Amino acid sequence: MKCIIPVLGLGLRLAAPLPAQAPMTAIDSARHVLSRLAYGATPGEIEVIAHDGVMKWVDRQLGFSDVHDPALADLERGFDVLHVSRLEMQDLQQKNQAKVQQAQAIGDSAARQRLLDEIRTEQQGGRRSLQALIAQLQTVTLVRAVQSDRQLDEILVDFWTNHFNVFINKGQDRPYFADYLDRTIRGHSLGRFEELLVATAKSPAMLFYLDNAESVADGSDQRLAAMQRGRGGVRRFPAIGRGRGIFPNPRPGVFPQNGADPMTPTQLAAKQRAPRGLNENYARELMELHTLGVDGGYSQQDVIAVARILTGWGIDRKDAAYTFRDAVHDNQSKMVLGQQFSGGHGEDEGMRLLKMLANEPATMHHVSAQLCARFVNDVPPDGCIDDAVHAWQKSGGDIREVVRAILHSPDFWASVNVQSKVKTPLEFVVSALRAVNGTPDSTPRLAQRVGQLGEPLFQHATPDGYGERQQDWVNSGALLARMNFAVQLAGGKMPGAVVDLDRVVAVTDDHAALIAAVDKAVLGGAMTQRTRETILKELADVPDPRLARALAVGLAIGGPEFQRQ
Amino acid sequence: MAISRRAFMKAGGLALVSLGADPIFLDRAAYALKTAGGTGSAGKTLVCLFQRGAVDGLSMIVPAGDPWYWQERSRIALPKEQLVSLDGMFALHPRLAPLKPLWDQHSLAIVHAVGSPSTTRSHFDAQDYMESGTPDVKSTPDGWANRFCNHPEEHASTPFRAVAFGPQLPRTMAGSAPSLAIDDLRTFGMRAAQASGEVKLTRAFEELYQGAATGLVASSSAESFEAIKMLKTANPTAMPPANGAVYGKSKLANSLQQIAQLIKADLGVEIAFVDVGGWDTHVNQGADQGQLAGRLDELAGALAAFTTDLGEQMRDVVVITMSEFGRTVKENGTSGTDHGHGTAMMIIGGNVHGGKVYGRWPGLSPEQRYEGRDLAVTTDFRSVFSEVLQGHLGPANISQVFPGFDHAAKVGMFG
Repeated sequence: MKCIIPVLGLGLRLAAPLPAQAPMTAIDSARHVLSRLAYGATPGEIEVIAHDGVMKWVDRQLGFSDVHDPALADLERGFDVLHVSRLEMQDLQQKNQAKVQQAQAIGDSAARQRLLDEIRTEQQGGRRSLQALIAQLQTVTLVRAVQSDRQLDEILVDFWTNHFNVFINKGQDRPYFADYLDRTIRGHSLGRFEELLVATAKSPAMLFYLDNAESVADGSDQRLAAMQRGRGGVRRFPAIGRGRGIFPNPRPGVFPQNGADPMTPTQLAAKQRAPRGLNENYARELMELHTLGVDGGYSQQDVIAVARILTGWGIDRKDAAYTFRDAVHDNQSKMVLGQQFSGGHGEDEGMRLLKMLANEPATMHHVSAQLCARFVNDVPPDGCIDDAVHAWQKSGGDIREVVRAILHSPDFWASVNVQSKVKTPLEFVVSALRAVNGTPDSTPRLAQRVGQLGEPLFQHATPDGYGERQQDWVNSGALLARMNFAVQLAGGKMPGAVVDLDRVVAVTDDHAALIAAVDKAVLGGAMTQRTRETILKELADVPDPRLARALAVGLAIGGPEFQRQ
Repeated sequence: MAISRRAFMKAGGLALVSLGADPIFLDRAAYALKTAGGTGSAGKTLVCLFQRGAVDGLSMIVPAGDPWYWQERSRIALPKEQLVSLDGMFALHPRLAPLKPLWDQHSLAIVHAVGSPSTTRSHFDAQDYMESGTPDVKSTPDGWANRFCNHPEEHASTPFRAVAFGPQLPRTMAGSAPSLAIDDLRTFGMRAAQASGEVKLTRAFEELYQGAATGLVASSSAESFEAIKMLKTANPTAMPPANGAVYGKSKLANSLQQIAQLIKADLGVEIAFVDVGGWDTHVNQGADQGQLAGRLDELAGALAAFTTDLGEQMRDVVVITMSEFGRTVKENGTSGTDHGHGTAMMIIGGNVHGGKVYGRWPGLSPEQRYEGRDLAVTTDFRSVFSEVLQGHLGPANISQVFPGFDHAAKVGMFG
C-alpha cells in the first residue's frame, strides 16, 4: 500500500515544505538532506541537487531499488565475500579449526609453533580465508558507503545493523555475519518492519549471538534423548556453545586469529552432557531493543513466555541454516502481554508472536523514535515521532513510508535540527572521503582507521549496537584522532584511501580564492567567518600552493563544522 | 542528582554563554597551582588492570594447600618445589616471583574466590558486567569508574583525571564524565613530519575549535588542547624510570610506564585503566613454562617495574587487577582450562593491608565447587572495588557507583 503525501514535486518550487521559520535556501536544503540521508556531499553535488529539486532527490532515494548504479555493481564483483554462502564460510571455519587443533596436538613445541604460524600466515594472506573474507566485508561496506548512489539505503543498512546488532567475533557469528549483513539486513532495509524482524529472528547469526539456538523447553532434553534412543540413532544435538572464547578484540579493526577458539572434544562433550534449558537472552533483547523498548510495558513473566514460545528456533549446523525443532519446543500454553498462545502450534506460535510485537504501539513508538534520532536530532522531537507512528499505522509498518513521513515532518527541516548532530566515526570517515572525491582501496586499512576512531565495524559486543548520540563519540582523544585523519587524508597520505585533490580544488596562489573554493567543495558553503580567517592566517607562511591547498582542506575536514551533520 | 557537565552542555549549551571564560580553565589553572582535584582524593591514583580473557586464578595464586588442586590438574599443576609460598595455604605462580617482595612488605593483598554474582560464562557478557559494575543488567549505559568520576565538581579536575591507555575508551570509563583515551603518550596530539608542523597544526585546530565549536565538541576539544599543553609543559615521556626500574618491551609495560610518568608529572590522574589480554587458555595452558607462564611473566615484570619506578610514591597509588571470571578447577582434555567462575585479584600499594589473602576459601572438592566444576565465588567483585575506591581514593557514593549493590560485606583490605 502506498501512502501519498501531498508534497511531491514541492522541491521544485520550495526547498523545504515548511512555513513558520526563516526559509532555507535550496542550497541549505540540499546540504541538509545530503548530510542526513547520505554520507555527506561530494564536490558539486549540493548545487546539482538544489538545481534539480531537493524533494525529487529525496523521492528518488526512497525508491532506491530503481536507482541503477552499474559502477558500484562493478566494484562489488571484486569482493568474494558477497558471493560466498554461510555454509562455505562455516566450512572454512571448521577446516581452519581442525588444522589448529591438529597443530596444537603436536608435542614438539617448536614444530607446533611453526605450524601455528603457518596457519596464521595462510589466514592472513589467503584471499579466500575466513579472515580475509571478513576483512573484505568491512572494506566493501566502506566502498558502498562512499560510492553508492543509493545513499539512503546505505544509511538505513547501517541503522538496522545497529538496531539488530550482532557481534561478528562471537564464535559462529564469524562465518554467519556476512550473510546476515548482506541478505538479512540489506534485503529488508526499506521493506516492512515485520518482515525484517522475522528475518533477523530466523537468522543463524542472531540465533547464535543471543543464544536462542541453545534455548530449549525445560525437560525437553530427556524427551529428546528418549526419542533418539527410540530411533536407535545417536543423533547428537548440535553443540552450540554460548560465549566460547569471545572477547572484544583489543585492537580495533583487526580481527583476531580465526581458530583461536576451537571447541575441543572435551568441551563439546561437556556441552552435550550439560543440563540445558530455557535461555531468555534473545527474548529479553527482542522486546527491550528490537521492538517494544525498555519501557514498553512488558514484565519478566513476558520475557519467560516469549523465550518459551521461541524454543525450537535454532540452527541446523549441517546446512548452516535456520531450523525449527519441535522436539525441544515448549508445548504448554503461554501468555504474552495479555495474549494467550495456546500450546501445540510449534513454529506458528513464534510467527504470531513476532507479528504481534512488530505491530504493538510501543514498538512503533520505540523504533520511530530511534529513526528520528538518526535522521532529525539525538533527542527526537515528539512531533516527528508522531508523524512516523502515524505513517507506520497507515502503511502497516512499511519502513519506506515511515522514513518518508520523517523526512516530510516539519521537525526534519526545523533550523534547530540542522547541523545539530555529530557524525559517528563511520560517518566522519565516509563523508571525508566523499568531500574530496576519494575512494577506498581494496585493502582493510581504511576500515582499520574507522576502528581506531572508535567504531570498529560489526564489533560492538553488546546487543544495543553503536550509539547515535554525540556523547557516545565525542571525547578528547577521538577528536584529535579526527584532526589527524583529516590532515593525513588531505595530504594524500591516508593508507587505504585514494585521493586526488586536483579533482576537488584547483591549485592557486590566491589564498582567499582557495579558501572560498574549499568552503564550496568540502563544506558545501557552511564555513564560518572565524574558520575562514583562521585558515587564511595559517596559510600566510605556506608558500607552496599545493601544500597550502592540502592544509586548507585538512583544516576544513578536521575543523568543527565538518564534525557536524 | 548531579548534573554532569557534558550532559548539561549538550542540553543546548544555553546557560554556558561565554566559552572563553569557561570555569574549567580557571579551575584547572588553580589545579596547576597544586590545589586539590575535585573529590578530595588529591594526589591519589587508582590503576585498574583488566586481564581480558579470564585468567586462571588457580594458577596465578595457587591454593597449594587444597588437595583437590593437585588431584584435578595432573598435567598443568605447578611443580611444588617452584611455588613461591605465601602463607602455607597459597603460593604465587613462580613467574610472579618478582611480586614477592611486595607481599613481604605488606604492599600486596590478594582476594581469592572473587567474582561476579552473574552466572554467565560468556566473556563479553561477563566483561560487560564487570565494567558496567551491574551484573546481569545489560542496559546500564555507563561504566563504574565513570560514575565514580561523575559529580558536581568534576569540571575542577584535569583532563587526565580518568585516563585509559588504548585506542578506545573502555566500557569501565564510558559515560558522561570526561575521560581521556590515549593509545600512546608519545603520539598524543597532532602528528606531522616536523615539529614545526605539529605546532602549527595544534595552534590552527585550537583556534578553529575555540572559534566555531559548540557544546560537547567545544568542551572535549578544549580538553584535548589542554591535555596537549599540559603534556608539553610537563613533558612526562622524557622522564626516565627511577630507582633502576627496567620496563620490558610489552604493550602493558609501555602503558604502565606512561601511567607512572603521568603520576610523577603530577598531572592529576585519579583513575587509570589498562588492558592486558591472552588469558583464555583453553589449550596447552602450560605450568611453569608455556602460554600462561609467559603472560604472567610479562604481568609481573611490568608491575614490578612500575612499583620500583614509583618507589615512595606508591603510597599514593593502588593497582588492582581484575578479570571477568576464572577457569575450571579440572584441566580439560587439551591440557587447558575452560570458562569457570571465581578467580583472584591482586591489590598493590597505597595503604592496603597486604601480605594477606582475603576472602573465604570455598574449597575445591566437587561438592564445594560452583556447578560441580568451578571455583565458587565468595566475594563479590563490587565489594573489592568499593573498598578500593573508599579506602584509597576517599569517600565515594557507592550506591551511585554500583547501583543496586548492598555493600555491607567487608573484605577488610583497608582495615
